[in-house]
Amino acid sequence: MGSVSRAGQGVVLRGVEKRFGDVVALEPMDLEVRPGELMVLVGPSGCGKSTLLRLIAGLEESTSGEVWIGGRRVDEVEPGARDVAMVFQSYALYPHMTVARNLGFGLRMRGTPRAELEQRVAETAAALGLGELLERKPGQLSGGQRQRVALGRAMVRDPGVFLFDEPLSNLDAELRLRTRDEIAALHRRLGTTMIFVTHDQVEALSLGQRVAVMDRGRLQQVGTPAEVYRRPGNLFVAGFVGSPPINRIPLFRDDRGRLAGGPFVLAAPSSLSRATLAVRPEDLAVAGPGEADGDASGGSTRTGDFRATVLRVEALGSEQRVHLDGPGIAAWVARASPALRVASGDRVSVSVDWERSHLFGPDGRRQEGVPRPAEQGVSR
Amino acid sequence: MVSGVRQPFLDSLAAVVLAAGLALVLVVAAGRLESARVGAAEAEARMAAALWEQEGGGADAVVGLLGARATITGADAGGAGPGPAAYAYEAGELDPAVWIAVAPPPADGPRDALPVTAIAIALAGLTVVTGWVLARRRGPTRTRYPVSIALLSVGCIALTAVAAGRWTHGELRSLSAATAAQGARAVQIALAAGADPADAARVAQLPWAQDSSLDSPTEQWTMPAAVVAAIAASSERDVETSAGNDAISLDAANAPAPTAREADAGARLIAPHTVEAEGATWHVARTADIHVALLGYERTASPALALAAAGGLAGLLVALGLHLAQLASRPRVLGRTLAAWGLLVPAAALIVAFTLGPLLFSLWISLHEWRLIDPAPLFLGFDNYAALLSDREWWSAIGNTALFTLHVPVAMAIALALAILTRGSRRALRWARLALFLPGITSVAAIAVVWKWLLSDQYGLLSRGLEHAGLGSVPWLTSPDTALASLMIIGIWMVVGYQMVVFQAGLAAIPRDWYDAARVDGAGPWQRFRHITVPGLRHTLFFVLVTSIIGSFQVFGLVYVMTQGGPLGATDVAVYHIYREAWEFLQFGNAAAMSWLLFVVVFAATWLHFRFLDARRAHG
Repeated sequence: MGSVSRAGQGVVLRGVEKRFGDVVALEPMDLEVRPGELMVLVGPSGCGKSTLLRLIAGLEESTSGEVWIGGRRVDEVEPGARDVAMVFQSYALYPHMTVARNLGFGLRMRGTPRAELEQRVAETAAALGLGELLERKPGQLSGGQRQRVALGRAMVRDPGVFLFDEPLSNLDAELRLRTRDEIAALHRRLGTTMIFVTHDQVEALSLGQRVAVMDRGRLQQVGTPAEVYRRPGNLFVAGFVGSPPINRIPLFRDDRGRLAGGPFVLAAPSSLSRATLAVRPEDLAVAGPGEADGDASGGSTRTGDFRATVLRVEALGSEQRVHLDGPGIAAWVARASPALRVASGDRVSVSVDWERSHLFGPDGRRQEGVPRPAEQGVSR
Repeated sequence: MVSGVRQPFLDSLAAVVLAAGLALVLVVAAGRLESARVGAAEAEARMAAALWEQEGGGADAVVGLLGARATITGADAGGAGPGPAAYAYEAGELDPAVWIAVAPPPADGPRDALPVTAIAIALAGLTVVTGWVLARRRGPTRTRYPVSIALLSVGCIALTAVAAGRWTHGELRSLSAATAAQGARAVQIALAAGADPADAARVAQLPWAQDSSLDSPTEQWTMPAAVVAAIAASSERDVETSAGNDAISLDAANAPAPTAREADAGARLIAPHTVEAEGATWHVARTADIHVALLGYERTASPALALAAAGGLAGLLVALGLHLAQLASRPRVLGRTLAAWGLLVPAAALIVAFTLGPLLFSLWISLHEWRLIDPAPLFLGFDNYAALLSDREWWSAIGNTALFTLHVPVAMAIALALAILTRGSRRALRWARLALFLPGITSVAAIAVVWKWLLSDQYGLLSRGLEHAGLGSVPWLTSPDTALASLMIIGIWMVVGYQMVVFQAGLAAIPRDWYDAARVDGAGPWQRFRHITVPGLRHTLFFVLVTSIIGSFQVFGLVYVMTQGGPLGATDVAVYHIYREAWEFLQFGNAAAMSWLLFVVVFAATWLHFRFLDARRAHG
């Protein structure tokens, strides 16, 4: 792009709510996207993330609440006048127009002088490597090329906010990775505000400066990828973010006031009647059957926190995933180094990195403080 | 595997199939030719007998003359060459002593051409087999029916058609010369027997009975050269002329001369037209010759056509046989193929019987003059078409049709607006759609009757309403200035609902994303309509345009019920014009020609549209 982009516009939602008749698509929520930030909205399908994006674009009207873009309230402003550009999942290229006309359509609608329009289209096409394709129609392009045209159509207008509605989900795996990098590079170069919707948590964590996790029309947590991963605000976020998913086990208060479940007996941090313990696979350390002391990661106990049977081992090259079996931990997975020698059927000793474990209350909320095993914690 | 064993078997099978195809061609062709000859000779005999009857038994005796009472008694009477050389006919109940001989056709045309045809077909078959064998040899794994064989089959058909054309030409020449001569001779007999030529012609149902120039005895007519030649050629053998009087006796093989009549036949006294040839005097009626010649031409064209068709059929059969023979090594594919064809047969038969057949029949009829009551259509070639080109009434009907078609774009614009306005699932909108769609599924006759009543000058609701409003009445259907416009308005009202539904289907197929993208791009409602809706509906618009134009060119019911083409031909549209030509004036040949011209017009319009669309698609 010839002109160095102006810094992006901030987007602020205040109490924004969306209902379709009786169906609540979005519960009232507040969200602030800072100028120049790349914010990713992530959540399972039907969580309302696309609706939220369409509200910002102006393609839907909120039932209540306020949308502010660049310090201007835009609830009554047409999408074309909101200073936003959008890239659709289907790309939504105009099939009867050439690439050049697709790129220039927005400028044309705004009455941009012809010379300027042509110059900007040419610059954008050059920036995206579309120069050869300008006279083709979308039907004659590959998926990746269409994706770039859709991107170019948004870029050419130099908008204050870019909105991406799952733009990568129609690409094959390799192209998706490459385009993800391109979008990240584009963001670094332009410094424009970008709001990116995806259902893929890996994409969200790798791309977003901040991530907003949504579920069932509700904002679950907003934070940096590290925050969301390391300090999930609730059980949903803990379960949704991370692959393989976090290991979980329900705990119940026993007659001695401890929280117990499966092999675990924890000192109750407060007056919880029940709770859920969640540990990420990389926070479990597995000791092979031959090793007397089962500890690799400086865990808190010498003999490991519990013993389990190895169900299956996935050797992925860079790591091994050890599927465990035992009372209450049937679906647990531990990450281990490729050097570890285990086979299915082995009895292994497993240690928990308690500093990195999470305890969630009966309402699913995160309990602050580190879970600790009770004095006679190891039962077997 | 056993290709060494299978190959000769397949080859011989192919040869058998080919031979069967060839035999079919020859049998069909020979049969058609023979029946054409017999038919032509029979027609001559009928005419001659009718002429004779005119002299002997009066007009009413002619009734029932044809058929049972004329019998073929000799087939090889002339002895001039191989094959049937002459036919003798006995007009049984009239006079046991009367024999009429018909001279054989000259022995040049068909006998020269027929071997050419056979050789051509055989060559074509040979090339097919060769091509097939070569294709087999090229690669044993390649078992699919090769394109080259398909092309060779087409070549076979084409060769046969060419040969048939050549044969037709020769056959045609000889047959028309022969029939001209026969006709002339038949007329001569009548004249010699003392009949009035005009009366004789009328009794024989010959068109020249209406030729008023026959009444003029002073006019000198010239015989066509072909007739002169034919008469000259056949006179030496067939006819003896007695020097004393000009009575004519016919010397066919077993036929005694009509001596009983000889005394009365003062040919010199009553014959209006004479020609001297080979020292003999011949009596000739010119127009009859021409007509009979045409009759011969007509009857010759059909065996040639049949031959060409049979050649094509044989080509297809050969191709089919080869195809099946090739598939014999793959029983599953063969089974599937046979099953597919078996399933296709009923539909194909229906199409052939009720679509293709009538279509070809109408094409054939358009080359003839045919009034439905005529025993045989008279072949005219392209005369019907030529006459239509300068038929002002026809072109006026075409013009009216074109004018009427102008309602299509108006209707489409209204329908598109309605389609956009009545989109949605609200109850009122659904009722509106239903109401708008109703005219499209109502009988045209019912609509026409109701509208005729509404638009009536005297008691029409619309006229009275306008009068009450003080606007004066409009002669909706009774003035040439307004009648077509009134029909166009009704036409719009009829098609709008249907078009609206089609447009709504088209609108539903436009992805919402395009509209969203356009909105984000800053396009307003009109720009979205122009840049998204219209391009998105392009194919729907084209479909509706073409089908509506075709439907508009076929408008009939409205006109038939409401105006009958009036007033003063202002609403005489093409199809109605054709209908009247066929069923009121009984000019089926003309009507068929009009239909085909109309088809050409509609086809051209559609083709242009398609080209236009393709061009737009290709160049943006």
